[in-house]
Amino acid sequence: MKISRIFLLVFILLGLSFSGVSAQASRPTVQPSISPTASPEPTLEPSPVSRVDITQPIEENVGPLEKLLQEQAVGVPLPFNPVKYAIRGAVDSGVPPNTIVLLLLLPLIAAFIAAARHIGGIRGFGIFMPASLSVAFVAIGPILGIVLFVLIVAISTLARMMLRKLRIKLQYLPKMALILWAVVAGVLAILFAAPVINHPDLAGVSIFPVLILVLLAEDFSKVQAGKSARTAISLATETIVLSLTSYIFLTTEYLQRFALLNPEILLLSVLVFDILLGKYIGLRFTEYWRYRKLIKS
Amino acid sequence: MKASSILGLNARATEYSYRYNTKRGKGIAASKSLMARVLKKEGIPTPKIYKKITSPESILKFDWNSLPDSFAVKPSRGLGGRGIIVIKRRARDGNGWVTTTRERVTIEDLNLHALDILEGAYSLSNARDIILIQEYVGRHKAFKKYAYRGTPDIRVIVFNKIPVMAMVRFPTKDSGGRSNLHQGAIGVGVDIATGITTKAIQYSKYIDFKPGTKRKLNGIKIPHWNRILTLAVEGAEVAGLMYGGVDIMIHPEDGPVIIEFNYQPGLQIQLANMAGLRKRLDRVEDLKVIDAEHGLTIAKTIFAGPFSRRVRQEGGIKTISALEEITIKGAHQKKERKKVIAKIDTGAWRTSISQSLAEELGLLNERNVLWTKTVRSSLGKQRRPVISLTFWLAGTKVTTPASVAKRMALKYPVIVGRKNLKGFLVNPHLKVKDVKEARIKSQKDKEK
Repeated sequence: MKISRIFLLVFILLGLSFSGVSAQASRPTVQPSISPTASPEPTLEPSPVSRVDITQPIEENVGPLEKLLQEQAVGVPLPFNPVKYAIRGAVDSGVPPNTIVLLLLLPLIAAFIAAARHIGGIRGFGIFMPASLSVAFVAIGPILGIVLFVLIVAISTLARMMLRKLRIKLQYLPKMALILWAVVAGVLAILFAAPVINHPDLAGVSIFPVLILVLLAEDFSKVQAGKSARTAISLATETIVLSLTSYIFLTTEYLQRFALLNPEILLLSVLVFDILLGKYIGLRFTEYWRYRKLIKS
Repeated sequence: MKASSILGLNARATEYSYRYNTKRGKGIAASKSLMARVLKKEGIPTPKIYKKITSPESILKFDWNSLPDSFAVKPSRGLGGRGIIVIKRRARDGNGWVTTTRERVTIEDLNLHALDILEGAYSLSNARDIILIQEYVGRHKAFKKYAYRGTPDIRVIVFNKIPVMAMVRFPTKDSGGRSNLHQGAIGVGVDIATGITTKAIQYSKYIDFKPGTKRKLNGIKIPHWNRILTLAVEGAEVAGLMYGGVDIMIHPEDGPVIIEFNYQPGLQIQLANMAGLRKRLDRVEDLKVIDAEHGLTIAKTIFAGPFSRRVRQEGGIKTISALEEITIKGAHQKKERKKVIAKIDTGAWRTSISQSLAEELGLLNERNVLWTKTVRSSLGKQRRPVISLTFWLAGTKVTTPASVAKRMALKYPVIVGRKNLKGFLVNPHLKVKDVKEARIKSQKDKEK
């Protein structure tokens, strides 16, 4: 508990220092930083770093994948290659292949998260949250992603604590709206600090990953209010671990290529895996640990 | 203990909670308002509902001062004890009330809290909820020393009309007066047969004393134990829960009352009892249980705590002879007892009793038969009942499943098997006189 409090405090201070800087430096730079976040067009120049946002249909993503498709020799469509043909048809008529790759990998991630819970015992906030968080990580980079995640969690906790300390009593939804207000202020502070931090990830931030992160705040504070801060923090940590691992799945080039070139195998094996997983009724790893004294006795 | 004896989250959901519970049962377990209605209709004790509020207008119209001095405000569909305010008394200065955790609340606080409940702040996925204002259940005097501020409750897991495992939950300073183990309440395992507490856990760790004190948590005798178990079984049956947890509080005047049902009861109860739930559930899954009384007999016979523990409490290991006179409890009258010579047989596992003796003592009553088993012997396949048998051996009370043997030529009407001999040493030396006496006695019995 103590460690987690210190942890929170550090991030709160961090957030405050960002906002302090932004007060002086943000004004002139607001205009350019808003336009790329608001417009979905891939007009912006690719940032000069090695990390490429694979969620965007820009040339760096599309080119190699299309080339990969062209290089693969495909036999008759039925019975083994229907999806391959469908992919080619879709790509030819303009569907970006990176979207298809991410979609194909999504069931794999979902299966992984389910397995982490049912075999490993790592819970996180359900299945939707880590999955969408991992996509958000792919879009804005894991570092910024985690910073934003921790910041959001810290702000929502702080806001709750402040309301309680100051004995401000509000109804539930207005209270949630207020917490969201604080969270958005914090995220904005980070964005306004872009000229100071000058990290390339900040330049490519778009609204949807940020929105996913902000929505997390509600889940977090609900658990916190309902169970305990302890549970909420451990769930949040587990969520980060799960989404980071899923992020690695999503960005591994080998997996991407495999998904695009062997979609039938991938989809079918995930399907079979899901069914088998659903039938597993043994203890989870964490339960072996939890009941170790019973098992030993 | 084998890992397969332990019930995990995966198996709880697929093998028990969802397989055995009806939709209606789960609905009743999820809604306290529905639960109160069903229990009231069946005449099963549950705290009185003073008022049910379903709309914001009626909150503002409601006169909180019309309530008794103590009451509880609860969301009907709250999860894990969330959103419950328990008012213990009016504030001395007349401004509002004081909760069990000694916080002051005013009418505005109560109104706001009530609005939150309606808005779904405590229910699953923020669904709209209703407010229940309920009678306050105080602490029974047996628990006063152990609970911090809140009222302790007893969680009984019931499966197939059999109380399978039980635990008392004491609120602590950490849990803020709530009896939720995740928030730091203490869980104490209870021996099903006797209602005496065994082991205590807090945050999944074993503890011996109430935190910050030298007050032992084991060896507490829970009052009204039989009533609690019966109530749990009856409640689960009325609600249509084949597998579930029943939370019971002991009302200082009215005795045990049902507070809540849970169709996915927590699994830490296994740690508190040092026993695997899966194994117990497997044992009773296929039994045909007639009613609560029968279920209790079964539970008390097969789930009694380890005998050796009680022996240690009573002081040392006893040496017994290979032939011992035992006293058997009969079923006809309350104090019916019969003394017989039993053979102590370390070659047998289970204790057995001759059919004629069992019949004579009324032990073949359908509510005393635990189950029947098929036995292969030199006579071919036979179906034999296994009954609940209570006897005193060298001053120690033993309750055990015993198989009923049909053999008429049984020299000794009872054979005590290894299963019930923990804590005893058997001296194989027999005096001829003893054997003769035993023979004469059994002869006489037969003639009768």
